[in-house]
Amino acid sequence: MRIAVCLKHVPDITTVEVDPFTGAIDKSRLLFVTNPADTVALELALQLGGERGRVLGMTVGPSATEAVLRAALAVGATRVLRLWDERLDALAPPLTARLLAAALRGEGMPDLVLCGTRSSDVGSGQVPALLGEFLGWPVITDVTQIELEPHQARVQRRLDRGAREVLEVSLPAVLAVEPGLAQLRHASFPGLMRAQRAAIPVRGVNELGLNIDELVFALPVHQAFTPPRPRSRPIFTPDATRPPHERIAAIVEAGVTRKSGKVLEGAPQPMAEAIVAFLREQGFV
Amino acid sequence: MVTTLEERMRTVRFRVDDRPHILVNAGICKDCSVRACVYVCPANLFVPLDDGGILFNYEECFECGTCYIACDKEGAIQWSYPRGGYGVTFREA
Amino acid sequence: MALLSKATSLALVQNVHRLVGLPNGFPPPEAPPAPRVRLRAPGTRSAEHVDVAVIGAGPAGSAAALIAARAGLKVLLLERGEYPGAKNVSGAAFYGSAIMDELIPRWWEQAPVERYLSRRVLAFMAPETSVALDFRSARFAEPPYNGVAILRPKFDRWFADQAVAAGAFLLNAAVVDDVLWEDGRVAGVRVRRDGGDIRADVVIACDGANSLIAKKAGLQRQFHAHEMSLGVKEVLALDEATIRERFQLSGNDGMAVEYIGSITEEVSGGAFLYTNRNTLSLGIIGQISSLAQHKRRPYELLEGFKAHPAVAPLVRGGTVREYSAHIIPEAGWNMLPKLATGGMMVAGDAAALCFVAGLYLEGINYAILSGIAAGETAIAAYHEQDFSAASLARYETALKARHVLGDFHGYRHAPAMVNSERLQNLYPAVIAHAAEQIFRVRGEPKQKIGPIALEALRQHKVAPVELIQDMLNAGRSFGW
Repeated sequence: MRIAVCLKHVPDITTVEVDPFTGAIDKSRLLFVTNPADTVALELALQLGGERGRVLGMTVGPSATEAVLRAALAVGATRVLRLWDERLDALAPPLTARLLAAALRGEGMPDLVLCGTRSSDVGSGQVPALLGEFLGWPVITDVTQIELEPHQARVQRRLDRGAREVLEVSLPAVLAVEPGLAQLRHASFPGLMRAQRAAIPVRGVNELGLNIDELVFALPVHQAFTPPRPRSRPIFTPDATRPPHERIAAIVEAGVTRKSGKVLEGAPQPMAEAIVAFLREQGFV
Repeated sequence: MVTTLEERMRTVRFRVDDRPHILVNAGICKDCSVRACVYVCPANLFVPLDDGGILFNYEECFECGTCYIACDKEGAIQWSYPRGGYGVTFREA
Repeated sequence: MALLSKATSLALVQNVHRLVGLPNGFPPPEAPPAPRVRLRAPGTRSAEHVDVAVIGAGPAGSAAALIAARAGLKVLLLERGEYPGAKNVSGAAFYGSAIMDELIPRWWEQAPVERYLSRRVLAFMAPETSVALDFRSARFAEPPYNGVAILRPKFDRWFADQAVAAGAFLLNAAVVDDVLWEDGRVAGVRVRRDGGDIRADVVIACDGANSLIAKKAGLQRQFHAHEMSLGVKEVLALDEATIRERFQLSGNDGMAVEYIGSITEEVSGGAFLYTNRNTLSLGIIGQISSLAQHKRRPYELLEGFKAHPAVAPLVRGGTVREYSAHIIPEAGWNMLPKLATGGMMVAGDAAALCFVAGLYLEGINYAILSGIAAGETAIAAYHEQDFSAASLARYETALKARHVLGDFHGYRHAPAMVNSERLQNLYPAVIAHAAEQIFRVRGEPKQKIGPIALEALRQHKVAPVELIQDMLNAGRSFGW
């Protein structure tokens, strides 16, 4: 089993301090870690790969980001790869995903790519989806459980309101896992020494067979809008007179009662007006 | 301007391990009337309980050692450092 | 963003459903690779062998590692923090510039130094009054600088990097739990990780004030609560211009203030304040036995210190950037461990080489000196391939040659004296009281200083016998 894991070097969120007046982040206070969801991806890769597994850790970024690769080597990643080019100065999800896809093509395709479902700093959650797109592989996000079967995986995925769904997907595939599912193992002493001694290979844009001019692009913006601010909801508290088990059930359901849809009938204009009135009331328009 | 301990503690970065590095023996603490640990700990991590025991919160520990040095009850505080990579990380101290 | 991400993930999941059941259009995975051979099962001894294992990358450890690595020895420097300095706290004034200059010429040009301490103040505190001795020297503001203000997480990291540049191998996040023994001598260390046993010809324990390794190896005894003090500290942000103006400093000059007297109320201890570039370091130090006896919480004493009329204007407007705490071995000569045994030496705070004597509050300089001495002893032992207790006993000779043991022996009576009840609270109050009488103008006949002093002593119920005894004690501690 060959598994590639995408690892991002991010500021530990507990060290991010924003100046209340300027809105600027105090960079001198930042300490960096591996993105928490990515450490789950790494741990799962080591578990799923087992004794015979080969785990490739990858990151995109300047030399300081090597730390996440050394941490991956220390816990048992077989190989690591840093993707960067001095001509690049900032990261954007499409760029990150293109570099990762190109590197995987160059390194021999793995059977599985594991990512964290989103990073704890920017957190747009786009890289797994874009990586799947560029590789032409299926992608499942918000993954909470993975079972490997020959040539396919059975994957549990988180839905809203505590619901789950189980999917089967053929391999190779990109799976993006939720943070907090597993704790990364503690590195052994030989692992730590090996990681500290390792020379971390770097691949530049040209070595990845890419053209820098095609990579540095402005994202096409079709339309920019600020979504309406959703109405604030009061915090749900269950009826204190109900018995405990009913109250617990009510809390678990977060106070959501299934709404039955309202069916409008009649002439188009009053129906349209009713719809607009409803949207306005709900804060969408 | 008074700074509360809570405000102070928020300026410190801790990486919390899932296992405690200091163990407090509640059986011994129940017979202790001195309770030096409750006062001397710079992070106020020792909380006296109604049943006479002591609750120790290891998460925001400075790893200074004051508690075991102040404690005169043999075996009450089993003290060590957290595992490598965990515990307090000072940025400016 | 959330909307977009949801839409993308939904579309792709539909994609997945479509794929399931379709013939796999991708090339089949390669045959599984041959199983990797595990060289070592977890928990077994690692094959690592080094000439010198240094425990702790503080000033003592980095100095020892640097010296030994420069001589070509294979040195492993083990640090339990995320980086060197991550677990370390000092005031921090560093009075070892000349020593450091021997190791790294013109070190101040490259090290993270906050300010050059050209102004030293010793303040005697009573609840509402204070008397200070204010010393300034232009010569202290010139290279090699007598003392500098530093921040340990930055300074220690830089110093450890110098050891690495000299060839030492630094490993962070490595907690050493014990030493390994062989044929009755120390032969390595045990790191708290799988496969964490490392063989070393010489182990230099620089693991700080708790000295756990020296205790495990039987070189240090358990501490008494009166021998150790707790320091709690704040770093306060204040802009550079305000610091210069408020403390009357020019350029990168800095000031160190040590406070004794009632500043820690009934608790034996003191306080300090140092100027950094754009922060202040300040804190209180309290003897642990005294804190426990009086049931005083250290952070409340810190708050009281900041609120004292002589201190409040100095810290006004400063916002807390970091709170920290650390213990200080204060009993000096009386708590020195056995400094060496077969295969092992102890240096820095781990050897209780912290010089606390009222006027002086020094440790980093002695840590570096002892680190150098231990490093040099290790080099000599390596060349002779003799790591016996007799061979490493030369460490003590090296410490004497560098005046470390002489200083501690000479001032061996000072710690008890400084922490005594009368010196802590009574005499500072007498001095402050007398000063108030001297400066107060009442429109009555002016008294001479002699009668004022006698009256102050009488009012504070100072017994003549005790006073003479304390003067002799002070003379013995500091004078001759």
